[in-house]
Amino acid sequence: MNEKHITEVLDNTALTSLSASELEEIRAHASICDACESAFTAAQLSAVVIKERAQVVIEPSPFFQTRVMAALREQQAAESVPAFSRLWKSARALVSSMALTTVVLAALSFMISAPATTASDQTASAFSAESVILGQDGDDQLTYEQVLNAIYTDDEDK
Amino acid sequence: MRQAQAGDESAFAEIVRRYSPRVFAVASRFFRQRSLVEEAAQEVFLKAFTQLGSFEGRGSLEGWLTRIATNTCLNMLRGSKRRPELTVSDLSEDEDQWLEQRMSDTAQRSVENDLVAADLADRLLSVLSPEDQQALLMIDGEQASIKEVAAATGWSESKVKVRAFRARKKIREAMERLVSRKPVTT
Repeated sequence: MNEKHITEVLDNTALTSLSASELEEIRAHASICDACESAFTAAQLSAVVIKERAQVVIEPSPFFQTRVMAALREQQAAESVPAFSRLWKSARALVSSMALTTVVLAALSFMISAPATTASDQTASAFSAESVILGQDGDDQLTYEQVLNAIYTDDEDK
Repeated sequence: MRQAQAGDESAFAEIVRRYSPRVFAVASRFFRQRSLVEEAAQEVFLKAFTQLGSFEGRGSLEGWLTRIATNTCLNMLRGSKRRPELTVSDLSEDEDQWLEQRMSDTAQRSVENDLVAADLADRLLSVLSPEDQQALLMIDGEQASIKEVAAATGWSESKVKVRAFRARKKIREAMERLVSRKPVTT
């Protein structure tokens, strides 16, 4: 190994997993190769910091279990609300269109049942069939028989 | 376990109590802040509760939770940005001092120094992908075997080896750059 660079060996295995003989060979090569010496130094430092980092373990707080169970209940409650909201989402379009149709129909029926009386309407009613034939306002209610009597009486007079 | 699968909350609460140290240990590999570790651990147990039906009991419950924890933490980290390269100027004064002491063999073991080393490790690890960080921390930090990492992550053993090799190389090179820009104190 003395002639062979050691960087691949350093990257292939964790330093802690290397045997004593392997480490000895690495040191022997590092003593005659500057590039491998700095690589070995860096690998050793990296191994130290990684080991220290792995030892940092955060312990659960005493309230963690309670917090998880509360979050679980909250999640279950939230899941029951979306069931209604999903139903509302699918029916919302239909309900809205039905409501809109009802409003439009109500507005139309209101406008048709109470039309504004205009001057042209009054003119038209003055020349209606009833006004011309009977000389009466169209608003007056005549029975069918009264109309017939009025017509035949006129004919007999002639 | 069966009671928990049947929806018994108190049985699940017992699972949370018993396995939270393990889940916290996994999450601690990925996060240093307590709030993030707790958030991840809570997410793990909420997922576990909804997936309890899929646990067939072939492996251990601890192994099953470890895998959920690993995947949850990896997902949480995937969105975070990786640091392209670490430079000496990125180091804090303590980290700088720790490195100098280490190189001159004057470093003394103390709780503070260990924490500084862990901080430095976090900086170095930030140049890696979360998956490579995981492989390196488990193998080089916790002396886990390739097989154990494969079981915890669901990756193939060859994938674990590749990730560990790549991570080790990147970390070593990053450390080498830091060291080469630093004058050696004799």
